[in-house]
Amino acid sequence: MSSWAGPEDVFLSTSLASYLDKKLLVLLRDGRKLLGILRSFDQFANAVLEGACERVIVGDLYCDIHLGLYVIRGENVVLIGELDLERQELPTHMICVSEAEIRRAQKAERDATDLKGSMRKRMEFLDLD
Amino acid sequence: MLFFSYFKELVGKEVTVELKNDLAIRGTLHSVDQYLNIKLENTRVVDQDKYPHMLSVRNCFIRGSVVRYVQLPPDGVDIDILHDATRREARGA
Repeated sequence: MSSWAGPEDVFLSTSLASYLDKKLLVLLRDGRKLLGILRSFDQFANAVLEGACERVIVGDLYCDIHLGLYVIRGENVVLIGELDLERQELPTHMICVSEAEIRRAQKAERDATDLKGSMRKRMEFLDLD
Repeated sequence: MLFFSYFKELVGKEVTVELKNDLAIRGTLHSVDQYLNIKLENTRVVDQDKYPHMLSVRNCFIRGSVVRYVQLPPDGVDIDILHDATRREARGA
């Protein structure tokens, strides 16, 4: 099985073994972004992240919320990316804010989209498009 | 296993993988497995401004179940060979 491939072909195969003990970005199906060090995985892409944190991004604001040791069920995984430590993780214009502040920004964004949705619904009788 | 074999032939070529969440990633196909999980190298996101968190990702693993399309290089398909292989597979040979 490719997941249990020996060290010789690990770097040629699709196995996650070459990402073990590296800092990764895991994108989940609900759009969340988790960062952490990959400690274990299997053929379903179930994964164990050590020192995991969630990176919440709203516009130009971001915040890393510490989570700890996480086991991710594989079906929720979209993408696992290796972070290039030489490169900056985010564009320079982005601002790191506190958790309280990012939650506020998140709520404001959600309220704005909800409002847009309900306005559109009310105008549906006009047969737009 | 036809598409697994097919994708194996494309290893080393530049492809664009579009995911079900509309994220499109371009990169060199490094490897593929029986679930059609894909590993890409030298990746860049097609709409970088919309996905700032992908800035420092150079290599990535994409779960096969979330892929919508794989866009291939123009010379990526030899239609005749694929046609033959499809018929062989359909016959169960």
